[in-house]
Amino acid sequence: MQQDGATTKITVLLIDDNQQRVLALQNALDKSRYDIVHSSAPRIGLVKLVDKLQPDLVIIDVESPSRDILSSLSTVSRFNPKPVVMFSDNHDTNTIDSSVRAGVTAYVAGHTDSNKIRPILDAAVASFGQTQALREELNSTKQALEKQDVISKAKLHLMQQQNLTEPDAYAMLRKMAMDSNQTIENLAKSLVVFWKQQSAGGNNG
Amino acid sequence: MADKLKIGYLGLNDAAPIIMAKELGIYSNFDLDVHLVRQNSWSTLRDRLHMGDIHAAHMLAPMPLASSLGLGCDSTDIFTPLVLSLNGNAITLSTTLLDEIKICNELDEVSLPLDASLLNNVISRRQSQNKDKLRLAHVFPFSCHYYQLLDWLKRGGINHHDIDFHVLPPRDMHFNLNNHIIDGYCVGGPWNAQAVRQGTGVTVATSCDIWGDAAEKVLGIHYDTYSSQPDVFQRLINALLEACDWLDTPAHRFDASVVLASSDYLNAPLDAVCPSLMGICLTQLGATSRDLPNYNIFGNRNNKLNIPNVVDAHTFATYMYSQHYIEALPSEQYLSHIYRSDLISKIALDLD
Repeated sequence: MQQDGATTKITVLLIDDNQQRVLALQNALDKSRYDIVHSSAPRIGLVKLVDKLQPDLVIIDVESPSRDILSSLSTVSRFNPKPVVMFSDNHDTNTIDSSVRAGVTAYVAGHTDSNKIRPILDAAVASFGQTQALREELNSTKQALEKQDVISKAKLHLMQQQNLTEPDAYAMLRKMAMDSNQTIENLAKSLVVFWKQQSAGGNNG
Repeated sequence: MADKLKIGYLGLNDAAPIIMAKELGIYSNFDLDVHLVRQNSWSTLRDRLHMGDIHAAHMLAPMPLASSLGLGCDSTDIFTPLVLSLNGNAITLSTTLLDEIKICNELDEVSLPLDASLLNNVISRRQSQNKDKLRLAHVFPFSCHYYQLLDWLKRGGINHHDIDFHVLPPRDMHFNLNNHIIDGYCVGGPWNAQAVRQGTGVTVATSCDIWGDAAEKVLGIHYDTYSSQPDVFQRLINALLEACDWLDTPAHRFDASVVLASSDYLNAPLDAVCPSLMGICLTQLGATSRDLPNYNIFGNRNNKLNIPNVVDAHTFATYMYSQHYIEALPSEQYLSHIYRSDLISKIALDLD
């Protein structure tokens, strides 16, 4: 999702049966960077629509039965999640705060006032971007740790088998990786798998 | 003064213990002032429970685990001390699909429960004609309905990749079936009987046929809410057990159906609500029904079936694992902290 000023359009999928609210929201967001596509009743077509449309944001009434259709969407396409904003007629700020903590990106309480809704959507888009960035950071840290782990395993095995020092074992891994034209991580992975198979099948030989 | 509690439920037959405890004044007998709130989706019911907006909820049995693991939501400490109902789901196919099954297999009649392997020829025919995959709906990504559909298909040797699965709200299932948007679904009552009454669906297998007696709905509670007043929740569990016992008497089932069908609760036709609660599975309009005394049960006299168990929890975890939602199976200790078997035993001892 790019956010370089008012020129980048943000596609919003609005799922709502309340025609009045749809019109109000369309008016409120007219001539803004939000481009509204509307869908009404709960049909399986909703999943296809989201696939086709790839909206940047989904807005739905918290009381809509279609929320469960979206639940399958967020679990199926975990790798490409969407920020979801909810309408609610509940004005209680505590409820809204705790809903946001419970995983909903943002709440729009009560009726759609053009002065209020834009900043809410802006905040939802921005906070979702931040959360996503944090998640990605966590994932890459996890991957980096796994990478270190497999290299350490291979190194340790070489040290024990060949009676090498740690720097020598690492140098050996690096040379083997370069000779076979692959990364140290990939080489270490294949070695670990190979040694595992060897020790499992050792009795048959 | 009675303690106030808000309980969320979905408009389904198996909400009966939660609803009847209110109607029969059982909550009041346990000094509880319970306010029931009907919800339109499992997702919103879950979010409300997570945020403490409702204090307890009628939940799909795999949901407390999904909440704890943070699947489709932020990880939240939800647990269950009580199984509210067992069985009650069924697979209903469109009459159009049933005709297709008969034609493709050169059969005049099919026997029930339907053997899913009969779908093989339908799938091949649709593939050779470049038609859409069969579309089957269930109610939630983490539901017994979905797992029962998968099991039924697997036993018939059907590859689940040959099926297009969808999530739909229970109340919208028959609309989508009537309009040929889906070919079949797995849902709880009254939405199977309703499609049969309308002549558009055929109920071909029930969850009892697929899983035997299995937990279907549980009482979900947030650990934080529970810890603040455990004695109130013990009384709630007691009250619900009494409602389950009341429902165990066949003579009470019709009275319960009348209450459930009313606009205060399910707002559904009585002739659709009643059959499964009376142990009858309607199959097809004009055809003989099946007698299934355990079609909808709410535990038994000694309440053994109301005790959550780790074996069920492990089954749910295995599905989540095989569908790559989790990277490893949770330990038995982890599961028994979510599916608590000790709270009912404690009560049973108190009552003795």
